[in-house]
Amino acid sequence: METLLGIKGPDFVMLAADTTHARSIIVMKEDQNKIHKASDNLLISTTGESGDTEQFTEFISKNIALYKMRNGYDLSPRAAAHFTRKNLADYLRSRTPYQVFMFVAGYDETDGAELAFIDYLANAKSLNHAGHGYGAMFCSSIYDRYWHPNITQDEAYDIFKKCIVEIQKRLVVNLKNFNVSVVDKNGVRNLEPISAQSLTDYNASS
Amino acid sequence: MSILAYNGGCVVAMRGKDCVAIATDHRFGVQAQTISTDFKKVFHIAPRMFLGLTGLQTDILTVRDRLMFRKNLYETRENREMAPKPFSAMLSSFLYEHRFGPYFIEPVVAGLDPKTLKPFVCNMDLIGCPNEPDDFVVAGTCAEQLYGMCETLWKPDLQPDQLFEVIAQSMMNAFDRDAMSGWGATVYIIEKDKITERSLKTRMD
Amino acid sequence: MALAEICKISNASYMKPTAWTSADANEDLKTFSCNLANPYTLAAPPFENPMLNLNQIQANSGKTGIKIDFDHGTTTLGFKYQGGVILAVDSRATGGQYIGSQTMKKIVEINDFLLGTLAGGAADCVYWDRVLSKECRLHELRNKERISVAAASKIMANIAHEYKGMGLSMGMMLAGYDKRGPGLYYVDSEGSRTPGNLFSVGSGSLFAYGVLDSGYRWDLQDKEAQDLGQRAIYHATFRDAYSGGIIRVYHMTPTGWINVSNTDCMELHYKFKSEKEAQ
Repeated sequence: METLLGIKGPDFVMLAADTTHARSIIVMKEDQNKIHKASDNLLISTTGESGDTEQFTEFISKNIALYKMRNGYDLSPRAAAHFTRKNLADYLRSRTPYQVFMFVAGYDETDGAELAFIDYLANAKSLNHAGHGYGAMFCSSIYDRYWHPNITQDEAYDIFKKCIVEIQKRLVVNLKNFNVSVVDKNGVRNLEPISAQSLTDYNASS
Repeated sequence: MSILAYNGGCVVAMRGKDCVAIATDHRFGVQAQTISTDFKKVFHIAPRMFLGLTGLQTDILTVRDRLMFRKNLYETRENREMAPKPFSAMLSSFLYEHRFGPYFIEPVVAGLDPKTLKPFVCNMDLIGCPNEPDDFVVAGTCAEQLYGMCETLWKPDLQPDQLFEVIAQSMMNAFDRDAMSGWGATVYIIEKDKITERSLKTRMD
Repeated sequence: MALAEICKISNASYMKPTAWTSADANEDLKTFSCNLANPYTLAAPPFENPMLNLNQIQANSGKTGIKIDFDHGTTTLGFKYQGGVILAVDSRATGGQYIGSQTMKKIVEINDFLLGTLAGGAADCVYWDRVLSKECRLHELRNKERISVAAASKIMANIAHEYKGMGLSMGMMLAGYDKRGPGLYYVDSEGSRTPGNLFSVGSGSLFAYGVLDSGYRWDLQDKEAQDLGQRAIYHATFRDAYSGGIIRVYHMTPTGWINVSNTDCMELHYKFKSEKEAQ
């Protein structure tokens, strides 16, 4: 039910994630951040089985940090995505698989922007735009309609708004707030969250 | 739905006169939803050899990586290029290693022997039972349709350009009757002195 | 026969003459042609309690090998706007993952002022839409005026409710123009019936909704509205494996329906792609 979104542009990647932490029929928390900063140029957003998400994301982040300490340079986003996928795939065939869905997003001076889609089976694919969870089903056609190769950060943020309007309109579950983060050549930044509140102004203006 | 059809996709390979062709579709889906339309399931693993893998995408990636590792190890130790036949034998035993917890893939190998330049195609089931016919091999969610098309169109000793036409038509008409495959296709023609890669303009629904 | 009289067995069933009586003939006529005269009489299935058992048979297809894969998978949409009602549908019919047809007509032209879309079980929709067109025509003959969209959709909902739980699978929209103006109703096999401004039904409906909602306004122009409907279905065919083929767009106007376009998805895809590249 939880939803992650991601858009890659020519020189940035933007991620959005809802902030709901629900357990059975109860909303436990309304400000859960699901977008984690793994290094100076790497974001990981995770959803799935509660507990697994935190454990696995932390395990990956710490190993990426360890790699930097040992070698004195960062893992490229592509390599980080590969490392994440490999670990998830290995755990998949163990007695304790992790049930996590994630995006590994980063920016690298030489390789450019990277957005890796990884699901709980460790299916992985580098994509221009993607989503996880039921909410994302409504968004993929919005991406197809409005995304283009030269997309700017403002346009990407606007597509997220369109997506979240749609999720709040059509999804049975109430996902009020979405955190938004971006990674580009200046590193990682958190943008203004998109909430039901901020969208009322958006709807009025459009 | 079978786990082999979870992500969709198909691969076909054919023998021609002194050449082989291998084709892949571009779909990567999660059940009914198409996630990406640029996922090629055929990998160039040696100068005159391609490996096609259909089935569960996670296992496609894992098997591809592990096989490359084993192949590189072989080439480093032996100091010579690996031919399609020993590669297939290695693939078969690799898959059988996981007999009791298999990788959910169906592989296809196509290539020319580096020394004799003899065309070679081969496919296997998910636990490594090899099959080396002298016409064509198919794999994926529209295998039945592919068999139908290939049985009709293929004939012995096709020239490279004829082979391209036959494999392209087989592929496109097969996946146009399958919901889980398609969304673009690529054909590779392997000849002794060159490899031609051509993208097909296909239906995108 | 005298012996039979004496033995008092002349009334036993095996002593009766074997010739057909007219009552027998009538009985046979009924059983062998029942829904010819009355479409509402469907044959009872050859097992008891169909409500429970048909569903079980379908659910256990994996174990029993008895597969009943009815044609399925669709994207359909309909919306009202200032210029009438737009209906747009794809044309793919799938049985499991096999594509049975790429040229299905999923919009049924019930009469000049009434259209129905089909989603779900293809056979269910086609059959009951045909029954509905008969009912609508009868209504016209009896009452000397066309049936309202509300009444037509009510007939459909009544049928659906009658068979509820028996395994019918339908999700249809009825669009029309009557005294009350443009009408759009959603009716499904659960028996629900509801009027509305904008609906999408089928496996690809989630994708269609995405484009539809972000481009929809009440004051769309005719061309804009027709393009929006077509575009929404196109995006659904691209993302949904079970939708595709030809995109048919219908426009319901005060003077009856118009078939605006029937365009192949492939043609549209490469048109939209080149437009995006030119951008």
